[in-house]
Amino acid sequence: MIVGLAFPETALIGLLFAAIQFGAMIYLASLGELIAERAGVLNLGVEGMMAMGAVGGFVFAIETGSPWLGLLAASIVGALVAMIHGLFAVVLGANQVVSGLALTIFGVGLANFWGTDYEGLRPDVQFVDVDLGPLSDIAWIGRIFFQQSPLAYLALALGCVAWFGLNRTRGGLALRAAGESAATADTAGHSVVGLRLFAVAIGGALAALGGAYLSLSISPGWTVGVVAGRGWIAVALVIFGAWKVRRVALGAFLFGLAMALPSRTESFDLPWHPILWSMLPYLLTIAVMIAGALILRNRPADAPAALGVPFRREER
Amino acid sequence: MIRPLLVRREKPLPGGQPLAFVLGSSVALFLGAALLWVAGDDPTEVYQRMLSASFGDLEALSATINRAIPLALAGLAVAIAATMGLWNIGAEGQILFGATAAAWVAQIGNAWSGPLLIVAMLVGATFGGALWALGPAIAKAQIGVNEIITTLMLNEIAVRFVRYLINGPWKDPEGFGFVQAPALPDQSELPGLFERAHIGALVAVAVLAVVGLMVSRSSWGYELRIAGSSGATATYAGISLKRKTLAVLVLSGAVAGLAGGIELTGNATRLTETVSNGYGFAGIIVAALALMRPSGVALVAVLFGAVQVGGQSIKAIGVSDAVSTVLQALILFGVIAAGVLVAYRLELAKAKVHSL
Repeated sequence: MIVGLAFPETALIGLLFAAIQFGAMIYLASLGELIAERAGVLNLGVEGMMAMGAVGGFVFAIETGSPWLGLLAASIVGALVAMIHGLFAVVLGANQVVSGLALTIFGVGLANFWGTDYEGLRPDVQFVDVDLGPLSDIAWIGRIFFQQSPLAYLALALGCVAWFGLNRTRGGLALRAAGESAATADTAGHSVVGLRLFAVAIGGALAALGGAYLSLSISPGWTVGVVAGRGWIAVALVIFGAWKVRRVALGAFLFGLAMALPSRTESFDLPWHPILWSMLPYLLTIAVMIAGALILRNRPADAPAALGVPFRREER
Repeated sequence: MIRPLLVRREKPLPGGQPLAFVLGSSVALFLGAALLWVAGDDPTEVYQRMLSASFGDLEALSATINRAIPLALAGLAVAIAATMGLWNIGAEGQILFGATAAAWVAQIGNAWSGPLLIVAMLVGATFGGALWALGPAIAKAQIGVNEIITTLMLNEIAVRFVRYLINGPWKDPEGFGFVQAPALPDQSELPGLFERAHIGALVAVAVLAVVGLMVSRSSWGYELRIAGSSGATATYAGISLKRKTLAVLVLSGAVAGLAGGIELTGNATRLTETVSNGYGFAGIIVAALALMRPSGVALVAVLFGAVQVGGQSIKAIGVSDAVSTVLQALILFGVIAAGVLVAYRLELAKAKVHSL
């Protein structure tokens, strides 16, 4: 089936490798946004949290000499920055759209400020792609699946943890209840504010991991604008994946493919300019939203019912 | 167990939003100073330079006004949509597409006289912005697709569209290999007012006044506000939510598009993908700080214009202009927090309080 195509095998392997690489990176950030949104908090600060994760991870990796410590620091930085949104949108009940966008502006600005002295440094600390011996040597599959950065496997593992946590634990049920009907969760004795803060913090940590994936693995180093709008792709992916951990994973691969394609259009002899291909993730998201609205007209929506609605017990 | 509780004041503190604004901005400036101090810069020197670069003399003031124009129009665009409870997060893309439409008009009419070309470009920009908002507007009005996400996605698509134009069909043949759009014709430059300020400021003020009055005084605006506060009431009163949604989002896009046209004719020499320069996003903060009122938008826009112009000036003393970006977000956070203090008071409640 593959034999006889006009493009070289290596190009296809390279494309699929990059699709998983970009997919895993964006999956981390989307997973975070998914968790926050399932708890009822829309956080449009992903772009900013990813920037903070990218610069934080890089700075700490350089200062400690360990990419793993950098990664850990990035997740803490991400959770801390996310708590700004937590304070304003969850505790004080400010508008989530405004607070989230302000977080993006804040995060991107602070990351650029923080990274000034680290810009363009050649990093000697970064994640090296794994070598799983015989597995990695398998033709095609070895390169695509078993020679990725450790962070790709981390993304997969965290996806499994998130799926289990959300769908199979009492805490996950409570968290989803806070996103579907905050008053119900409150009546059941859960702290809606506590649950939502927790979800926002986890969301920030995961977004920052996505950012650190960029600065410690995909394109090691820090430059202004390294996140380059990928935070918005992460937000889009949650909708594309209908707020479901597994569907978002599938979507992450597709979006990864779409992100990997523009720089490879020549190898595949594709029509149109590569830049037009780079619109694909955003066009896909719009298409899915419109298709969803048309098909699901008479069915309950996939979005958490209380998404974007602040909860104040005394005003419920 | 004692826990803090926010209780709504029967009477808010006198001064309301202006008080919150002053309080919040002060806190933001203080936090910004702390950030500068931690980074080893001298906050006083940085702030002094920012102040003199934005308000120090007439030239500084003109730079601030130029910056305030797109901020005010983007803020107005957001505020119009918000009257009906809609979120236009896509001003960034609408500004860019408006500028693109204006650049297209300039290519067609590069032999036209100045005034004609400028008017045509601004009209083109307005239509361009409206067109860029039309898709989300139809999707929202007809089948209820969330406008926050569609307008957001179209920002990214607009950037890539312009990037494509500049790299492809619109690549300047006289660019000596540089990837750039062709230069705009000389006569397309907006006439000046004083120093660097141009008549775009007057256009912006006029649009703010007209659209502001439309929303606050006309029956159309009245229906809009009813529709924003209760869709059911509006439907009962015979107001078509679909038509209102469509009109409001398209108008919002048109205003943002005009900002792109003014930016292109007033401050740029050619179309670039950075013409919108974050004004669309900052406009959301401007509108939020102005409590979605067109009158307040202008004032906040001048303040934000000053912060941005000031930010550019501190690069000369080796301080990152990212400081001004951080400050803008901090001002919003500070004012929200101060707004809570104005409307609520903190009580320490004993044990568990159940208020039903």
